[in-house]
Amino acid sequence: MVSEQQVRDTLRIVYDPELGVNIVDLGLIYEVAIDENSGAVRIAMTLTTPGCPLHDTIVGGVRRALRDKTDPEKLEVDVVWEPRWTPERMSAEARAQLHF
Amino acid sequence: MFRLPILFIVTGIVSFALYHILSLLVLGTWMLEPMRSPDGWFRVHLLVLDWATMIAMGAVYQLMDVVLQRRIHSVMLGYVQYGTFTLGTMLLLAGFLVSNAALLGIGAALSLLGILLFVYNVGLTMWKAQQWNAVTVSTACALLYLTATAIIGLIMGLNYAFPLWPDMHDRLLAAHIWMGMLGWFGFLITGFSYKMLPMFYLAHGHSARLQTIVIVLLNAGVVVGAEAFLLGGGGGAQAAASAIVLLAFIAYIGVVEEIRKHKHKGSPGRGIWWTVQSTRAFVAFAAALLAAWLIAPEWFRNQPTTLLLGMAYLWGWVSMTILGYLSKIVPFLWWTHKYGPRAGQPNVPVMSAMIPERVVGYGLAAISTGVALTLFGLFAKETTAVAAGGTLLSLASLLYIGLVASVFTR
Repeated sequence: MVSEQQVRDTLRIVYDPELGVNIVDLGLIYEVAIDENSGAVRIAMTLTTPGCPLHDTIVGGVRRALRDKTDPEKLEVDVVWEPRWTPERMSAEARAQLHF
Repeated sequence: MFRLPILFIVTGIVSFALYHILSLLVLGTWMLEPMRSPDGWFRVHLLVLDWATMIAMGAVYQLMDVVLQRRIHSVMLGYVQYGTFTLGTMLLLAGFLVSNAALLGIGAALSLLGILLFVYNVGLTMWKAQQWNAVTVSTACALLYLTATAIIGLIMGLNYAFPLWPDMHDRLLAAHIWMGMLGWFGFLITGFSYKMLPMFYLAHGHSARLQTIVIVLLNAGVVVGAEAFLLGGGGGAQAAASAIVLLAFIAYIGVVEEIRKHKHKGSPGRGIWWTVQSTRAFVAFAAALLAAWLIAPEWFRNQPTTLLLGMAYLWGWVSMTILGYLSKIVPFLWWTHKYGPRAGQPNVPVMSAMIPERVVGYGLAAISTGVALTLFGLFAKETTAVAAGGTLLSLASLLYIGLVASVFTR
């Protein structure tokens, strides 16, 4: 059974290709919920801007990254727009990478 | 969506290269010859239609997806529109080149049809979405002025072939240029920037108030100017229209500064940096020119003021902005097509690996130097400066567009 931390660590391989920062450090992953009985994994995430042109690419990346860790049939990835993403959600590493 | 936008963008890139190769053959000195000649019309329309408008259309098809979060009304119609517009502009250019009225007429009609199909396809998409904000309103305005520009262009062609209104020709020409340059390109570039600049600066929490002011002022300037030209208004009316447009661009700089004030990324990329600098430079140049005209109008009597302002706008702002944005658009389209399906796997390159930022910066610096030198040469009537500037502009442009095209090999 994969843990929440393992999911988050695995998702560090998924990048916003324009910013060059992974989606965990960007603060895009809002929630990782694991059902211990069924093994289902639900990820609530967002994107830096509504209508982000990389929507399908990033969501596809999340699914691909977790392919070996979860049952794809039991993986749910929800893109939510509330609360809105703000730059304050970025980690210190992300800010350093963006030179800000 | 990849294929449809990339078709327009690749065609635009090829046209851009052709324009500069032809310019290099005469070291850019064609700009010293009368613009109102078959050669001048050919070159200007190659640049404006097959380069700038072609790229703009491709960008609209790509960005509508992002802005409206819905697909364009008909992708198939987009392909039909591409074919019609491309064939039309090719016939139009051939008509200019060989001074053939029939080719001009058919080319103009097909180009107009291509434009109408584009306006219909994008317009219907926006109408169905019913999302009206500064980006979509600006795009709608751009489509309106593009249509008006194309219709006037066709009327001019008919007027040329069958002189129905010989006295109107110059007025039609002035309105055609004014609405095309400021209405179509002005609204499209500013409108798209309201969406794209915050993305590249990672800006959040910025106010959109000034965007509305830009829309109001730019519309006022375009309408007042077009009316002044069509109804034979004098220099005063034209100067008033120019002043309103200048105010619109000053407000636009305010929009850009507001976005930059709320950025969370150190650098938006060299291409975007240069689009911001070119906007500031153009506004400073236009403001200085207008101020000088107000102080000493007699000094402008024998100066190619319209040519200078037109070149500064078309080259110093429109082209520089398009070239800057291309350094982002092409890597984005290619990366999404080639590497998007591998996102989430190890060793997938990031977008910045598609194009070397430093070389983008050098390229745009060289192009802007070429523009500045050419403008100086035109102002001072120095053939050597125009030749040097024109050569640098074209060489740097060819190298730069080659750099952009090389993204497709990554």
